[in-house]
Amino acid sequence: MAGAKNHDYHILPPSFWPLMGSMSALVMAIGAVSWMHPDAMPAHGGTIFFLGVLGVLATMFFWWGDVIKEAHAGDHTPVVQLHLRYGMILFIASEVMFFVGWFWAFFDFSLFPTALPPIEGLFPSKGIEVMNAFELPLLNTLILLCSGTTVTWAHHSLIHGDRQGLKNGLWLTIILGAIFSAVQAYEYAHAPFPFGETPYSSAFYMATGFHGFHVLVGTIFLIVCLVRAYRGDFTPRQHFGFEAAAWYWHFVDVVWLFLFVAIYVWGGWGAPVHGG
Amino acid sequence: MSTTTADDFHGHAHDHHDADHKPGFFARWFMSTNHKDIGTLYLIFAIVAGVIGGTISGLMRYELREPGIQFLQLWAQYSDGPGATLDQAYHLWNVLITAHGLIMVFFMVMPAIIGGFGNWFVPIMIGAPDMAFPRMNNISFWLLIPAFLLLLGSTFVPGGAGNGAGTGWTVYAPLSTSGSAGPAVDMAILSLHIAGASSILGAVNFITTIFNMRAPGMTLHKMPLFVWSVLVTAFLLLLSLPVLAAAITMLLTDRNFGTVFYDAAGGGDPVLYQHLFWFFGHPEVYIMILPGFGIISQIVSTFSRKPVFGYLGMAYAMVAIGVVGFIVWAHHMFTTGMTVNVKMYFTAATMVIAVPTGVKIFSWIATMWGGSMSFKTPMVWALGFIFMFTVGGVTGVVLANGGIDDNLHDTYYVVAHFHYVLSLGAVFSLFAGFYYWFPKMTGKMYSEFLGQLHFWVFFIGVNILFFPMHFLGMSGMQRRVPDYTDALAYWNGIATHGYEIMAVGVLIWFVNIIYSFAAGKQAGDNPWGEGATTLEWTLTSPPPYHQFETLPVVD
Amino acid sequence: MNRRINAFMMAMALGLSALAPSAAVAQAEAANAAEQAAPAEPAAAANATAAPAWEYSKPVKNVGQPQEGEYSFQEQFTPTGHYAAWMHDYVLLPVITVISLFVLALLLWVVVRYRRAANPVASRTSHNTFIEIIWTAVPVLILIGIAIPSIDLLAKQFKPAPKDALTVKVTGYQWYWGYEYPDNGIGEYVSNMLPAEKALERGEPRLLAADNRLVLPVGVPIKLIITGADVIHSFSVPAFWVKEDAVPGRLNEKTFTIEKPGVYYGACSELCGARHGFMPIAIEAMEPAKFAQWVKSQGGTMPGDKPAEAAAPAPAAEGAQPAAATNAAEPAAPANATAS
Repeated sequence: MAGAKNHDYHILPPSFWPLMGSMSALVMAIGAVSWMHPDAMPAHGGTIFFLGVLGVLATMFFWWGDVIKEAHAGDHTPVVQLHLRYGMILFIASEVMFFVGWFWAFFDFSLFPTALPPIEGLFPSKGIEVMNAFELPLLNTLILLCSGTTVTWAHHSLIHGDRQGLKNGLWLTIILGAIFSAVQAYEYAHAPFPFGETPYSSAFYMATGFHGFHVLVGTIFLIVCLVRAYRGDFTPRQHFGFEAAAWYWHFVDVVWLFLFVAIYVWGGWGAPVHGG
Repeated sequence: MSTTTADDFHGHAHDHHDADHKPGFFARWFMSTNHKDIGTLYLIFAIVAGVIGGTISGLMRYELREPGIQFLQLWAQYSDGPGATLDQAYHLWNVLITAHGLIMVFFMVMPAIIGGFGNWFVPIMIGAPDMAFPRMNNISFWLLIPAFLLLLGSTFVPGGAGNGAGTGWTVYAPLSTSGSAGPAVDMAILSLHIAGASSILGAVNFITTIFNMRAPGMTLHKMPLFVWSVLVTAFLLLLSLPVLAAAITMLLTDRNFGTVFYDAAGGGDPVLYQHLFWFFGHPEVYIMILPGFGIISQIVSTFSRKPVFGYLGMAYAMVAIGVVGFIVWAHHMFTTGMTVNVKMYFTAATMVIAVPTGVKIFSWIATMWGGSMSFKTPMVWALGFIFMFTVGGVTGVVLANGGIDDNLHDTYYVVAHFHYVLSLGAVFSLFAGFYYWFPKMTGKMYSEFLGQLHFWVFFIGVNILFFPMHFLGMSGMQRRVPDYTDALAYWNGIATHGYEIMAVGVLIWFVNIIYSFAAGKQAGDNPWGEGATTLEWTLTSPPPYHQFETLPVVD
Repeated sequence: MNRRINAFMMAMALGLSALAPSAAVAQAEAANAAEQAAPAEPAAAANATAAPAWEYSKPVKNVGQPQEGEYSFQEQFTPTGHYAAWMHDYVLLPVITVISLFVLALLLWVVVRYRRAANPVASRTSHNTFIEIIWTAVPVLILIGIAIPSIDLLAKQFKPAPKDALTVKVTGYQWYWGYEYPDNGIGEYVSNMLPAEKALERGEPRLLAADNRLVLPVGVPIKLIITGADVIHSFSVPAFWVKEDAVPGRLNEKTFTIEKPGVYYGACSELCGARHGFMPIAIEAMEPAKFAQWVKSQGGTMPGDKPAEAAAPAPAAEGAQPAAATNAAEPAAPANATAS
């Protein structure tokens, strides 16, 4: 049977995107370093960096465009769909460990504040007024929890063949995600403490900032799903692209719950509250 | 370990792939989606990186041959320009140790053992036609190129006292933050980010492949041990590398954006970095050695003509090493000022790892016991591995004792220990795997004489190189110094001679490779005979471009 | 809290803040800045460097420094050092040697006995539950045997310093050491490596000799408070079995008692930048009476000298100090519930 493929696995033709993505990463990295060190590196670091970002985005666009085409071509047999599920779950597992790193830093500072100046056993540091966890952060928690239900609504509609329900659920989720990001941006802009300078604000901004970045990525992922929903890409039986976006969104949601409880509520407990 | 029969798998047959239809040169090597081609790229990359990393260690041994600074200032003129100061020369030393460590870990051992052999043989050994994500497989490889270029490039830009990142491979803060101005360390950090992304994607790929693409009948408990080892390794990569990514991102923001994670003056904690780093770094050492364990298991079984003794114990010993490997990290930090209880815990937990490791050593010997052994080159390397890894392992038990480590920490004893488990452990397993699978990968036999000669010269060389380092460490010679007090000259001189012998061994290896391609005999499907029972030996040498178009059935 | 301790904590904070911006400037300038910012009390430091007026003793060939061609630890001069060296030489080394030789013997045996020529037909044995239990259980027992003295050693090393211990504050700088005796009123003086010619001139080993030594009494418990001013350094004296990192923002504590007068050498043992290999530690250990003379020669006082004034509050505050001054991450740094 030479030459005939007698299995359900997906054997791919050569692809240019991996090479393009890697070289874009190189351009991005060189641009970033040049941007941070204009004195010692080539000029126009910022421009180079954004060219690299553009290359990475283009790679993603073309690469995942190919994946969608392959899905329509019937390459995504049940076993290949299973691969994709495993791949997404494992990727999310690695993302969880990334956040473990940031939480580790936060708990190191909060549980073991040094007795020496400038900390003198205080966390958050002296002079820091924290945000009131039960104002905007609580609102944001509710928004994200809500968006978790709307994305599930969309999923159920999809499974039951209700295309309008899918679009409605996705629209709501995306809008809620956008509101979350807007509230977060407002919160940063009006935060009572600056970026960095103290362990509290370093951990606060980097942890919530990386979470915010993941919200943006998740929102874009959902927007792509919405576009695909309008194109009629998803069927009740095959819609892994949507499921991956939903999983990712739930992951972002859960990380936020931990951030909310650990950093906003517990981390600011007993500290002077801004405006309060 | 299992026999196979061709069986028609009833799926819908796609028509568009010919088993031996290869794409053109550029498409084949730059746009590859073929696990064997990508594995070959990884191996070539690892050899290039290994030559660079090995040359750097040669420079270091040359400088350390005698007390005093012989060559550093001369070399510094190449990196820092004519008129390089003594401080720039000393900084160059730190750049060399940093580059040697990072290159050997991230760009030699890992690409060779996981990317190279893992890619080549994991799919074949489980009876799969390719990896689960062939395109992602390719970006895992290609991301290494920018990572390596960034690291090499960092040596030409300012990094503190001179050009290059002089922080050690551990990149400890605050030496890597406030202690190293200039772009070099940022480039090294981004290099690690990209190499880490490459490995995480690779880990996702291996886990998915091993869980989902085993041939009919190939249960988890029938998988060859090499596949088991790569599975455990992939989990370690997946769960430890993101923590490193977070840790070095904090370095980056501390350096450039005003955070104070590791800045004591701002209330941060330099030791936090060490916790995060070693939470990655300890699993990392198992990442480098576990696939080696797998390779040795295959080889010992093949050349003893016996199935692996205590297969389940072997597999779960690796799982145990992987799990326990996550909770012992702070034994790298015994002198940072931890409390007595913490130090006792990490002492005890670390020693636990000796138990599953012992199980592996004894099971290899038991596999040979009662066997009918032949001593082809791969087997000789495997035997060398078992003994040398034992020697490196028992000095690990010495270092595990927090109270003993108070003297040995950051001395040459530690350098000796980790080179015994890596240069004589991981590297021996790499050479063993190379000779074992070279006929399969190329279809050519290597020269048995040159292979044996390579082993003996290399074996003698590395032992002369690294064994005296135990003595230097016990005498108190600290790591990462370009000069030493005169009383330490004796063993340092001997170690440098060991390097020379080892380098000759590597040259013999290259001669052997050239000989094999030019005049090597045809290998045939299975050059190793009845002991070689894994699926790769049922294929032609080299295997068809797409193997297992019809899946094998394992019983 | 004791004013003096406050003083050195403040000094440390000052040192740190003075160094923080140096990341931006060239390394050479940073070193200069460090030199200026480093001494806790500039006047005292100037005193110390201006008036060494002390004849250091000559090192003894086989003591406190590496020996040519040696293949063992340096001779130990502290009780914990003796214990640790005993544990290595009489517990660990024999055990690991026997294990390695045992594995080697087994390998040689199977290689000879089960080579193709001697055993043409391989057995198919692949399980033996009993032997597998044995080679799991026996290593466990061996490790327990190692763990007992190991834990005991840790407990001894962490035995808290008595109240009358001599406290010396050790600060690592890029690339020299600072020593301060808060109980004796001796401000920080710095210790730099001696150039090779000078070291040889004085009969001292190259790269290990320092201009000003850390002077300590023998037979008296010594408590070092170790910290780093810029990056992490590590204070290491092989002949005392002592190594403790000098971490910025932490006050690490190390307690030991030196048994014999003499000169003992060590070196920075954590990569700390360009001149990491060139910041030696030289310790001059002497009889307590002579030590008191040295303290006087440096303008300091011994605790017994002026009973009413400096000495009385100092030890009391000393006792309270570890909890307050060590990093809260290590709430009970030297104390230990499980100790012996």
